[in-house]
Amino acid sequence: MKPCIALTKGRLETQFIEFFQSLSYDVEPLINKGRKLRVETDEFQFVFAKGVDVTTYVEHGIADLGIVGEDILSEFQPDVYSLLPLPFGNCRMALATEKGKDWPARKRRIASKYPNITKEFFRKKGESVDIFKLEGSVELAPILGLADGIVDIVETGNTLKENGLIVKEEFFEFSARCIANRSSLKIKRELLAPVIRSFQKGEVVR
Amino acid sequence: MFLPTGSQDEIGKPIDNRSRAFELFQRVTFTRNYKQISTPVVEYANTFTNKHAGMELSNMLKWFNREGEIEVLRPDWTTAVARALVNQHPSQLKWAYQGSVFRSDKDGIESRQAGIEIVHTPSFLGESECLLTAVNYLNELQINNYLFELGHTGIFDELTAPLKLNEDQLENLRKAMHDKRRDEVYQIASDNKVIAEQLSDLVDAYGSFDVIETYERHWENNNRLLKILKHIKQLATLLKESGVEEVLVDLGRVKNLPYYCGTMFRGFLKETGETFFSGGRYDKLYEQFNESISAVGLAFDVDVLSENLETHDSSKRICILASEDSHVYAEKIRQNYSNSVVDIQYQLNGSEQFDKVLQVVKDENNNYKVVEK
Repeated sequence: MKPCIALTKGRLETQFIEFFQSLSYDVEPLINKGRKLRVETDEFQFVFAKGVDVTTYVEHGIADLGIVGEDILSEFQPDVYSLLPLPFGNCRMALATEKGKDWPARKRRIASKYPNITKEFFRKKGESVDIFKLEGSVELAPILGLADGIVDIVETGNTLKENGLIVKEEFFEFSARCIANRSSLKIKRELLAPVIRSFQKGEVVR
Repeated sequence: MFLPTGSQDEIGKPIDNRSRAFELFQRVTFTRNYKQISTPVVEYANTFTNKHAGMELSNMLKWFNREGEIEVLRPDWTTAVARALVNQHPSQLKWAYQGSVFRSDKDGIESRQAGIEIVHTPSFLGESECLLTAVNYLNELQINNYLFELGHTGIFDELTAPLKLNEDQLENLRKAMHDKRRDEVYQIASDNKVIAEQLSDLVDAYGSFDVIETYERHWENNNRLLKILKHIKQLATLLKESGVEEVLVDLGRVKNLPYYCGTMFRGFLKETGETFFSGGRYDKLYEQFNESISAVGLAFDVDVLSENLETHDSSKRICILASEDSHVYAEKIRQNYSNSVVDIQYQLNGSEQFDKVLQVVKDENNNYKVVEK
């Protein structure tokens, strides 16, 4: 039986493949997968999904391990082992607003893809806010007047700048993490331990 | 009409299997001298949310009663049984229960459990009896492909004591251990590099017997930790000698409810990875009743066990074809096949589901008789 790893599609997928290759694993089938969402190599099975779905597949034991951003773990709190940070996918969570605009005196309205992270951030500050959950292009919300500010991921800050927004506060630095199903880690420990060790040490232990 | 998320109708096999699982549980616990106990399905929320029980109100199915108090559907058996046992005579040591628990944070709102609680009993005896009851029950269910896991709350308590962390820091450290976040464990404990190292190594301290042996060497100068290891080893040996093929230890496991204090155990089905029982020592739960007693127990997830039961209904299935006039005669014939499934029909529907089809006919004297079709 091969370990099953769920990968977050998109940028994390590319960065993981580079990382995985640096550990001398075979990544050829991953690079040439086309539109396939399930790929098998000699040693592993891979499934490709959106970040939050990666956690669902791992939580329910469909996948043994998962590669996902910590923003997703923090927002959705899946019941999985969150084993270790990986050396890619580095980002910050930030509160941003339109350049040159002051915060209003009333209760603030914040747009975000991450309502739970946003709620927790303002709760720690002791402030009540109204949160608008958006699915993407969050930068539009202050420009179009839906919200006074946004809470979102910032990697380089270019998207914010191009849309006339500035960072007011950065509060959460994170990277991609390797997560594991709670039962698989124990039951399939002989299969999974070498992979996890190789992730930890940045080298393949075989 | 629709059903809410998490609720479902069931038909046939799952119900038969669950009845069988409950029936076997009752038989096993009866023959091991347990007394049955049942508590009401509606309780006050405070029974479960007080600081000793420590459960989250947000995960419960709840409402206000007429007096404005919050009532809940029973979210946990152990806490409810502890409340009920306080009024029982201490001479009865072993208790068994079965029924549903209701939680909104689980996939299904309702899940069925069967469990045991053992009180006023020496530590090793109580824990052994719990584990051996589990083995006995699994044998009766003919479930073989499983593993048992043992852990102990005392290891985390002992290693974190010198850190002098405040309540919030300690809770964050416990959560980090629970999620096996090695990096965060190290970071929270990093004021004491030696302990930070030990705790973060403990995240990976799961596996078979050799883990115990490794840590016996690591902790050779700490008698309290050695005593815990000895206790776990004794239980693991008992399980091995009782036929449990795979016993796992996880020395880094931490409690997920505040009342656990000592040995923790659970069982996994190897094929599906599902947890089919969990339990442990919870003497602290009785502190809310000003009682200082030993208490240990475990609860089986009957839904998981039922799904994994082999169906082996070997009863012969017989159909008796009768008519309105001969129905009473057919009913009498049924008594000749007391170990079989007998269905009386007026017209044969689906002969393939029966091993034998009998027809009631009249003989030459106009008396009823049956002939095989």
